[in-house]
Amino acid sequence: MPRTITYSEAINEALREEMERDERVVLLGEDVGRMGGIFGVTHDLYERFGPDRVLDTPISEMFIVGGAVGLAITGLRPVAELQFADFIFNAADETYAKMSKWRYMHGGNFTVPMTLRLPEGATGGGGAEHSLCPEAALLAHPGAHIVVPSTPADAKGLLKAAIRDDNPVAFFEHKGLYATRGEVPDGEHLVEIGKADIKREGTDVTVVAWGRMVSRALEAAKNSDASVEVLDTRGLRPLDTDAIFASIEKTGRLVIAQEAPKTGGGASEIAAIVAEEAIDLLDAPIKRVGALDIPLPQNAMLEAMAIPTAAEIQVAIKEVLA
Amino acid sequence: MSSRLEIYRVMVLAQAWEQALLRLIDENLAPASYHPGRGSEGSEVGATLALEDTDYLLYDHRGMAHIIAKGTSLTALFGDFLGNELGTTNGLGAGIVHVADPERGVLGQSGTLGGSQLIASGAALSAKLRKSGQVTMCFMGDGAANRGTFHEAANAAGAWKLPLVFVVQNNGWAVSTPTEHSTGGSFVDRAKGYGWHGVQVDGQNPFDVHDVAVEAVERARSNNGPTLIEVKTVRLTGHYLADPQQYRSAETKADASTKDPIVFARKLLHESGEATEDELEKIEAEARTQVDNARDEALKGNQPGQDLLTRYTYV
Ligand SMILES: Cc1ncc(C[n+]2csc(CCOP(=O)(O)OP(=O)(O)O)c2C)c(N)n1
Repeated sequence: MPRTITYSEAINEALREEMERDERVVLLGEDVGRMGGIFGVTHDLYERFGPDRVLDTPISEMFIVGGAVGLAITGLRPVAELQFADFIFNAADETYAKMSKWRYMHGGNFTVPMTLRLPEGATGGGGAEHSLCPEAALLAHPGAHIVVPSTPADAKGLLKAAIRDDNPVAFFEHKGLYATRGEVPDGEHLVEIGKADIKREGTDVTVVAWGRMVSRALEAAKNSDASVEVLDTRGLRPLDTDAIFASIEKTGRLVIAQEAPKTGGGASEIAAIVAEEAIDLLDAPIKRVGALDIPLPQNAMLEAMAIPTAAEIQVAIKEVLA
Repeated sequence: MSSRLEIYRVMVLAQAWEQALLRLIDENLAPASYHPGRGSEGSEVGATLALEDTDYLLYDHRGMAHIIAKGTSLTALFGDFLGNELGTTNGLGAGIVHVADPERGVLGQSGTLGGSQLIASGAALSAKLRKSGQVTMCFMGDGAANRGTFHEAANAAGAWKLPLVFVVQNNGWAVSTPTEHSTGGSFVDRAKGYGWHGVQVDGQNPFDVHDVAVEAVERARSNNGPTLIEVKTVRLTGHYLADPQQYRSAETKADASTKDPIVFARKLLHESGEATEDELEKIEAEARTQVDNARDEALKGNQPGQDLLTRYTYV
């Protein structure tokens, strides 16, 4: 029997189950322990597993990520949390070089089985430094997976898979999704990393999205006259290009929606891959939808105007069909 | 606790290894991107020999004496510089390498200075959480100790009393920039601010360094917290091989050369009667033979094939 729980609960369940299953799993981050995280995602875990499994760290992003690399190469399976995904740049070298490259640089002598949890996204007034979706920051630095769940079921299944993966995984969870509810299967529920999911079938146009843009794409699809297929990549690396190609083979048209500013994001990469490898499957030019190329304003009303809405995705769908 | 003769033997081994590497570089068999370690053997060998096999080491870029003291195969080290399959990295590293030897606790090096400090803190936290009794030792230069990473690593280790030893090798220079132009206060004084124990020692005397390190490792192992050891040491050569050192006066170079830890240790062992001239010469000859054999062995290694390029990107 599937239960209906929130995205935040799903993440908490994934952490609890993996910590119960494997005593090498430890959590660390700012305020993740006694407080249960500033968004409440890690609540009750400190009480359940104690201070040796759930560690409140100093405000030291470089330590949270670099220290987690040290934990990972010496036999533990850390799940580190950066309080906001924006802070990935406070720990940039630790993330793109240490976490992603330590294994390769040292000739495969180590594995770095760590998960880096990165609460991302605009939530109504977080401001320019607390609202980013910096998923693409790691694209040019091979070595870590980039995972972005859009539903409670995916959040739980992907996080459990990430914790079990011997590769480092950057796990972006959208703050604006924490309270959303959805069905999650009972019992052991794992979702394979790097496998896209068709969240809605259609024949006229494919909308590729991930994270919060999946629900906006679904809303746009529902309001559209056309038959819209919504493909959730569930992240950016590994990227299920086969699923993308199969979908556009069916529809012949492609819209890619991301919450990050339009320039230099995952959508650009996906558009480039399709242009390079599968342009002949398309009957119309690709359309990208993304935030305006501006730092996000703190004013919630302006912020809402800056990031893509379902209506904007709907317009893009119309345009590629025109 | 190692004997003085053992400390001397390993220093001489590191020196012989480096001389053999320089010959390989002369012969164009290895890339010339190397930071010679002459002068820092007292610091690196004296401190590392305080560790057990299972303890962790994060070395720094200057010389190989700490890695050699940890017991990593000399052949594999040559293999790393030759970029062949006998290297610890199977041929991925060449030149300024990322040597790794998990069996002997050699956890690697961050090419971005300072990165190792954080990973060392994490390794020490791991040992504490696993109650494994392992100690982590992390080497850095005086220049690298100025990175912000130092603060985050040292602060966390102090807050949690981690079994960690930082060895700041203060040789007075970061490439061309003297320490006094780039550092406020003294390194050893920082220890107190982070809740660490701090001690300063002269790197010319490897036996003193060893005593201090043995104490620090013991303190870490008995859960009495981290230690910062500031070793006053010297760089007998340029920063890297081709460094013309125009920024350095003849006097400072000459002054440094009077502080060679190998010369100092030899003299001390001889004068104290701990070793005769014959015994010292025997140690030196054995080191050269051991290095020559390792070099000959390493030269038999094959260059890696293209398949190595992607082999270790993901598990
Ligand atoms: C973050 C970073 N900045 C700069 C460099 C380039 N670099 C390599 S070694 C070095 C000097 C290091 O000086 P120090 O730490 O005192 O060690 P020493 O070379 O004197 O042994 C510099 C600037 C680097 N590798 N990483």
